[in-house]
Amino acid sequence: MYLVADINVEICAAKNCKLCTQYCPEANTILYSDELGKDKGFKYGSAYVAVDRCKGCAQCVWVCDNMAKNHAIKMIMIDQLPQAALTENIMYGEKSTTAVLTSPVIG
Amino acid sequence: MSLDYVKFSNGFEKFMPKEYRDMVEHGPFGRKVTVSQMGSFKEVLEEHPMCAGCAMTLFIRLAMIAFPNPEDTITVGTAGCGRLAISQAAIPFVYGNYGDQNGVASGLSRGLRLRFGDKPKDVVVMAGDGGTADIGLQQVLHSWFRKERFTTIMLDNEVYGNTGGQESGMTNKGAVLKMAPLGKKFEKMDMVQLAKVAGCAYVATVVPNNPRRVESVIKKAVLVAREIGPSYIQAYTSCNIEYAIPTDKVMEDAKAVENDRYQFMEYVSEEAKQYLTERYGYKEFLAKQAAPAASISGKA
Ligand SMILES: Cc1ncc(C[n+]2csc(CCOP(=O)(O)OP(=O)(O)O)c2C)c(N)n1
Ligand code: SF4
Ligand code: SF4
Ligand code: SF4
Repeated sequence: MYLVADINVEICAAKNCKLCTQYCPEANTILYSDELGKDKGFKYGSAYVAVDRCKGCAQCVWVCDNMAKNHAIKMIMIDQLPQAALTENIMYGEKSTTAVLTSPVIG
Repeated sequence: MSLDYVKFSNGFEKFMPKEYRDMVEHGPFGRKVTVSQMGSFKEVLEEHPMCAGCAMTLFIRLAMIAFPNPEDTITVGTAGCGRLAISQAAIPFVYGNYGDQNGVASGLSRGLRLRFGDKPKDVVVMAGDGGTADIGLQQVLHSWFRKERFTTIMLDNEVYGNTGGQESGMTNKGAVLKMAPLGKKFEKMDMVQLAKVAGCAYVATVVPNNPRRVESVIKKAVLVAREIGPSYIQAYTSCNIEYAIPTDKVMEDAKAVENDRYQFMEYVSEEAKQYLTERYGYKEFLAKQAAPAASISGKA
């Protein structure tokens, strides 16, 4: 198993800074959804990770901890994530994306 | 080399992979995208084998977002790590022999001008410090002396990363590398100065820990190269493998190197300033207004 980044929606949505997206070395990996967190009363959405593209470098963790000072991202073993976003389940919209979360590990 | 080349032929849409469909429908082609919109549109860069956490990867990602007309851009590269990612984007990529990238780009940009006239077709070279300052130096300098109108970007990781850690002309003096165990004996080459002397109309240094600045300098460099003359960007893009930088400390390292030998520097020729202002509406080169009398007397 290997580590991937996992973003806590409630902590991220409270800040909504979109910084990590600009520092992840991998393209199309940290995405942003206006919908995430709406069910919990947050207005502006949250970042999330397409875990099939994440290389586990933890640069986003550094950015969220030190630049955003928000501590919303943790590295986690992929088989410990009950649900995550995968590229095949991500839909792009006009200004934001939406993702259907599924189990990232088969079997 | 135009918006049409990425679009689906009638009836083929359903056979295209999801990533391709997303790129056509929600990518940057034919519209303006910015660094601040990252994470909400499909980027043209796809998966590639560059190392986890590599700052060069981040820089290439940002560069492709910054290209003013990605659908009218061709990238040129050479041996080295960067081409592993640059070649995996929906932007045509030309790959020559090691070090000949500025020769190839000279021919290409001239050919495009003959074929397309005034319609801008941007040529952007991205190559490592070894490819640019050592093996390709002769072709790089001559393309500048000849005032070839394209952009040269040096991906400066201060080492030959792709071949396991030899020193380059851009390695810092004293640096110890796997294949330079006694430490480098000579100073880092001053390519910025060489670029100015050789006649580049726009020169800038940049580090990837400032994504908006990366975006801004690349846009200006590409626009200046359309009409005014050669442009050169030198980007610090650390190699976390050869310099043993923990991947979660890559941005800390970039900040330290920025403070040490990569302070932001931008040179814009007078002609380029006028062109950016008049043609593209840049305000930053307008003469600063004289300070009001009150502030001169200290009562701002
Ligand atoms: C003519 C030739 N000589 C040598 C090589 C082997 N080679 C491949 S990449 C490379 C070094 C690349 O270093 P640099 O240009 O600094 O790029 P980096 O990999 O550090 O990004 C060398 C020597 C080659 N491909 N072609
Ligand atoms: S840096 Fe942190 S707070 Fe900001 S968008 Fe990313 S996860 Fe959310
Ligand atoms: S761990 Fe690295 S690759 Fe994964 S999302 Fe964070 S910055 Fe991107
Ligand atoms: S060897 Fe160095 S420069 Fe090359 S991809 Fe890996 S970290 Fe990046």
